[in-house]
Amino acid sequence: MSRALLLNTLIGVVFVAGVASARGELFVLALPFLLYLLISLLEAPADLRLEVDRVLSAERVDANMPATVTVRVKNHGKAIAEVLVEDAVPPNLKVVTGARRHVVWLGAGERWEFSYAVAGPRGRYTFGGVSVTGGEGSGVFGMARQFKTAGQLFVLPQITRVRQVAIRPRRTRVYAGSIPARLGGSGTEFFGVRAYQAGDSPRVMNWRASARHPKQLYSNDFQQERVADVGIVLDGRERANLYAGHHSLFEHSVLAAAALCEALLQQGNRVGLLTYGGYLEWSLPGYGKQQRERMLHTLARAQVGASSVFSGLDHLSPRMFPVESQIVLVSPLMRGDVDALVPLRARGYQVFVLSPDPVAFEQRLLATSREAGLATRLARLERNLLIRRLQRAGILVLEWDVADPFELAVQPALRRLRYPRLVGRYV
Amino acid sequence: MMRIVLISSIAFSAGSLAWGYKMLGLEAVASAALIGGALWLLALWQRWHWFAAVALVGVVLLAGTGIVLGAPLSWMLAGAMFALAAWDLTEFRRRVAIAFRDDDVRGIERRHLVRLSLLMLGGLLLASIAMLVRVKLSFEWLLLVALVSALSLTQFIRWLRDS
Repeated sequence: MSRALLLNTLIGVVFVAGVASARGELFVLALPFLLYLLISLLEAPADLRLEVDRVLSAERVDANMPATVTVRVKNHGKAIAEVLVEDAVPPNLKVVTGARRHVVWLGAGERWEFSYAVAGPRGRYTFGGVSVTGGEGSGVFGMARQFKTAGQLFVLPQITRVRQVAIRPRRTRVYAGSIPARLGGSGTEFFGVRAYQAGDSPRVMNWRASARHPKQLYSNDFQQERVADVGIVLDGRERANLYAGHHSLFEHSVLAAAALCEALLQQGNRVGLLTYGGYLEWSLPGYGKQQRERMLHTLARAQVGASSVFSGLDHLSPRMFPVESQIVLVSPLMRGDVDALVPLRARGYQVFVLSPDPVAFEQRLLATSREAGLATRLARLERNLLIRRLQRAGILVLEWDVADPFELAVQPALRRLRYPRLVGRYV
Repeated sequence: MMRIVLISSIAFSAGSLAWGYKMLGLEAVASAALIGGALWLLALWQRWHWFAAVALVGVVLLAGTGIVLGAPLSWMLAGAMFALAAWDLTEFRRRVAIAFRDDDVRGIERRHLVRLSLLMLGGLLLASIAMLVRVKLSFEWLLLVALVSALSLTQFIRWLRDS
């Protein structure tokens, strides 16, 4: 029952009782209530003529770093005795300092603002409107209004610094970089010996070979180092990432993908990112800081998704990546993935799979029992077989037990990746 | 400050009613009023905010009955007015409870108390004038006055809302 209705009813009952009993004193009893109601009605604002806007200190922050939200309110109407201003904070974001809800007295034309800080895990957060409830001092005739305000915050994934990722794509681009290009020229690593050409520096001359052939001079050739095209694929399939209920490997995959994006872009490569989950989200290949921002935004938005269309890796079309480029797949891997990955290798792509280990991950979630042990052994055998089949097809697989920190477990291995040779026929 | 005023209002409301009924000779009702006051205080402590509305209705009904039975109008009026103040303050406390510690709650409280005091004073003044001006009316006249008052009040509220 609203407060105004309660007062109205009380006044009405006392009036009726006064008339019925013909006692003037009862009217007197109703007078203070009547005055209270009328003054409240007179003071009640006809409309909340407010201007509300919200400013965020940053559009992007690192995971669990605070961002300050400032809400500004200006009263264009008459004074409002009690204003409750409440900002809608997206779920998963936590208010770390200050408060998102305030009660204030707003004079006519007065401007007022408040700030609070929020922090949260990786994600894209869209702020809703600011709700304002205002009324006269007694709160009998309150009025609520929702003010639409813009506000979006990207909480970027944590980035682990990786110095070098030793990729070896078949084809490189024309620009100088750090990826061995399988071409002779200027570089640091020995590539071969060729006949001396006019202008060769005496430093590059191969004196031993020249000594063996008195009528011919020879020079050393070095392997050219260039930038390459790299496509990073982040596997966001629910079936591959969720284990034992709601425990997810996906955050580890995002961490790995972010580290790889950062490192490969730092090396000067042209890098693209594809999130493969409930739908496909694609960051077109590019260089430099802008591309880094684009990819981090894509990673911030990335979520695990379930889709019957993308349940397998069949839609990982080769047309998404430049011919003979490097593909880096970050995925826990599933049984049927071999059939999608091997054809990529057959088309000339160099494929590297960084795989957070789901067996070890799930094992830690299970209670210790004989059945769990047996199931783990079987799952391990299946996974080893899967990895072996990928390796036989010339795909490099790097397993990562997520119990170990990325920088300790994966970073050293990334510096010296040894691509397996194609062995026999894929079966 | 607010708490003291609120507790005092509840105590004065129950006390006034009890005293009025005691003067009437109805000691049992007086005791019931005091018990009701104690219950209201308990509800305040337990944060049963809904109780304030129930208590207000109870006090007004008790005051009205007291007036009909011939209890002194001043004590009954005082009981009802303090109940109105306590009901208002209970709701106000509930609204302000969600405020952040940096908000100027003390300022809002001060303004609210001043406003409430003025309202109570105005109500008392109006009631005193009404008590002084005594006009003898027949039942038919009274009915007509009540009807006209109700109609004018409705029109006035509608006009206020429209404007």
